Amino acid sequence: MQDLLNVVTLGSIYLLFALGMALVWGTIGILNFAHGATFMFSAFVGHLVTRETELPFLPVVAVSVLVGAAIAALTQLLAFQPILKRSKNQHAAEMRILIGGIGVAAIPLALAQHQTRSSPFGFNSSYDAEVMDVFGLRLTTTSAVIIVSGLAIGIGLTVWVRRSRQGLALRAIGVDAETAAGMGVNRTALAFGTMATAGALAGLAGALLTFQLGAIAPETGDQLLIKAFAIIVLGGLGSMAGTVIGAYVLAGAETLVLNLNYGTWVDAVSFGLIFLILLARPQGLLGRKEVRRT
Amino acid sequence: MAESAVGRQTALLAMEDVAVHFGGVKAVDGITLEMYEGNIYGVIGPNGSGKSTLLGAMTRLTPSTRGRFLLDGKDYTRVPARNVHRMGISRTFQTVRLLDDRSVRDNILLGLDALPKQTRKETAMQVDEVMERVGVREVAQLRPDELSYGMQRRVEFARAIIGRPRLLLLDEPTAGMNTAERKEIGKLMRQLCDEGITQFIVEHDVEMMVETCDYLFAMNVGKLIAEGEPQDVVRHPAVQEAYLGKGAAADA
Amino acid sequence: MSDWYAMNVVLIQTTLTTLLLALSIQVPIRFGVFSFAGVGAFGIGGYTAAIAMVHLGWTTWPSVALGAVLAGVVVFALGLVVQRLTGLYMGMATIAFTLIVSVVAVNGGELTGGPGGLFGALGEIDTGHILAVVVVVVAVLVWTEAKGMGRRVDTVREDPELATAMGIDVARYRLASFAISGVIGGLAGAITTLLRSTITPAEVNFHMVVLALTAIIVGGARSWLGAFIGAVIFVWLPTVISFVQEWEKVVYGFLVAVAAIYLPNGVLGLIKDLVHRLRTRQERARMAVLQEKG
Repeated sequence: MQDLLNVVTLGSIYLLFALGMALVWGTIGILNFAHGATFMFSAFVGHLVTRETELPFLPVVAVSVLVGAAIAALTQLLAFQPILKRSKNQHAAEMRILIGGIGVAAIPLALAQHQTRSSPFGFNSSYDAEVMDVFGLRLTTTSAVIIVSGLAIGIGLTVWVRRSRQGLALRAIGVDAETAAGMGVNRTALAFGTMATAGALAGLAGALLTFQLGAIAPETGDQLLIKAFAIIVLGGLGSMAGTVIGAYVLAGAETLVLNLNYGTWVDAVSFGLIFLILLARPQGLLGRKEVRRT
Repeated sequence: MAESAVGRQTALLAMEDVAVHFGGVKAVDGITLEMYEGNIYGVIGPNGSGKSTLLGAMTRLTPSTRGRFLLDGKDYTRVPARNVHRMGISRTFQTVRLLDDRSVRDNILLGLDALPKQTRKETAMQVDEVMERVGVREVAQLRPDELSYGMQRRVEFARAIIGRPRLLLLDEPTAGMNTAERKEIGKLMRQLCDEGITQFIVEHDVEMMVETCDYLFAMNVGKLIAEGEPQDVVRHPAVQEAYLGKGAAADA
Repeated sequence: MSDWYAMNVVLIQTTLTTLLLALSIQVPIRFGVFSFAGVGAFGIGGYTAAIAMVHLGWTTWPSVALGAVLAGVVVFALGLVVQRLTGLYMGMATIAFTLIVSVVAVNGGELTGGPGGLFGALGEIDTGHILAVVVVVVAVLVWTEAKGMGRRVDTVREDPELATAMGIDVARYRLASFAISGVIGGLAGAITTLLRSTITPAEVNFHMVVLALTAIIVGGARSWLGAFIGAVIFVWLPTVISFVQEWEKVVYGFLVAVAAIYLPNGVLGLIKDLVHRLRTRQERARMAVLQEKG
């Protein structure tokens, strides 16, 4: 049972990270390779700020969330938007956005590595995690916050994308950008808002994971990026509910491999999943079949 | 003329009960038609009636849901799309699809790439001749994005005819051209036809179709609603209704 | 000249091996296949060559050949499996493949030396040997870029449907690009490893994908010459500008992002555009007159 709780915690972290990526990719069609760097750098700024002054839990999280939103918004404004404007078709834009994202991601990563000499960093916070006893299971307050916010935001986003007007507009873009433009959807503004939201989620995940582990390394973001991709592919692109399920499935599978004493193979789980899913069921567990006419 | 040929020779291209469905959308739904060598055929119909899909299915680029395709009486329904060009069916696309980084000359040469090899000299003569005919010889070294839209369409046209296909499928060949250019292309189509290249044209411009084609098909919502002499087809009640119903009476 | 050569022999060799690695990523991209499997091939080639030397006692060049062939075969097999995937999915599946190679290396026990890597595989390789390999590889690539073949490859990349309509067997071209990429990547890995006598799993990582991408995106993705320009910039820039040395990765990230936005065809594309404009001045003037008349 304790294992199950650990799986849920791990899955919730994956979820918080993957949600932002899934939102952006599934709606405005941008696979943001800088998402991992955004995640890491938000936590890193939190680290820098708390090095100056000790802060309680919430302000640290707030700093990371804001930084995350700002980085993502800047990425959209300075890199992705210009690329979209200059690409002659969706296919070319996809590639250039992926490559541009890889370039953008290298900058904060290198800055953080330069500052920390590639060693892990944490927060100087007045917050101390307490261990609670829930039905005989050990649960830290940090884990509780992670689980609750992961599930709440996951379900919240699922409902929001499905029900709200903006959600509908986003889904319209995800299915067919041209028709959406015809419906009067302001793609630029929506894309900007979506990216900022995703960045905020990355920042939240960054702060919470750092609290949870005590410290993260600059490279942590890159590892999560591949896992998030596996999660999104597993759940099905465009399906928020699929992302939620995918996050917990991946966490479960990894924990299982770990418990079977194949610790060094853990990373292969997500890579292997990507492979299996792409080949067996490319639309993922809950994804829509792509309806595209050229 | 087309109808005089019916029953005497094998159709160059025949379709039997062809359907193309996209999920639940029946873009083409049960079309049977025949085309004979040495004519210009046209298909008219309102937007979304399935004209371009029909053309795509003939080249096998768009997979059909059911039905048979025959060239010279030989079934080619299961032939992969990449071999259709070699069988003598060539096409243009509704939108301009040229290689941006390549010269006009190079783009046209693409039309020969999958056909049997010839000597370099033959190829050079052929490409010069075809560029002369469609009027792009002056700009042979330019790239497509340096040309006007009408010019780009001519390059596409040249790419489709350089291999001397038996059947040429043209998807809105004069879209975006001015009246003079349209006339020129119309004349070229007739010349090609006299040289034995059968043509199948998808167009909105009914007037031009009546002028250019020997035989017309009319489509609406995936089905053939009329066929025959262009003048008769245009006056056909079902055709009138299809256009008027869509509020496009002005076109007709 | 010979002094200069003696002082820079390592940089010259690195330029050549970086060029090979960059080419292994560039080839599939030029064929319209967004595959990063070349980096995995680098790992397979490097490990195979090292194993052949250390465990089997083979000499240098048979080991390199074995590495290149095996990498080619494995990546070709990968191509058979993933060929139906499109765009980003292909990209991620091949990144996953590359990372799996490194996980396998970590878990290879004595054969691969585990996480610490394999040592003591010092081959007899000098600059002349590497140059000879590069010349052969480039000669093959020049053939794929020349005249009709280059035109068909361009069509397969830019518009696969058009290519099919023109009678080109798109699937065959794409599969061939996997095999070529595998062999070149394998050569790069084998030569680099035997040159340095060691290979570790950590080398076959995402950073190497970024390195290869940097070279071809900045230099130019359409021709081997672009990869060469990129490799030269990448290897020599830090030695020329000390600022670049300290902030190396930041500068590269910035360059990749800027190139993705403003120079999708890299430095080489820029040069080619200029040459084209100079050469066709008269024709463009004629065109302008034609358009005024029309």
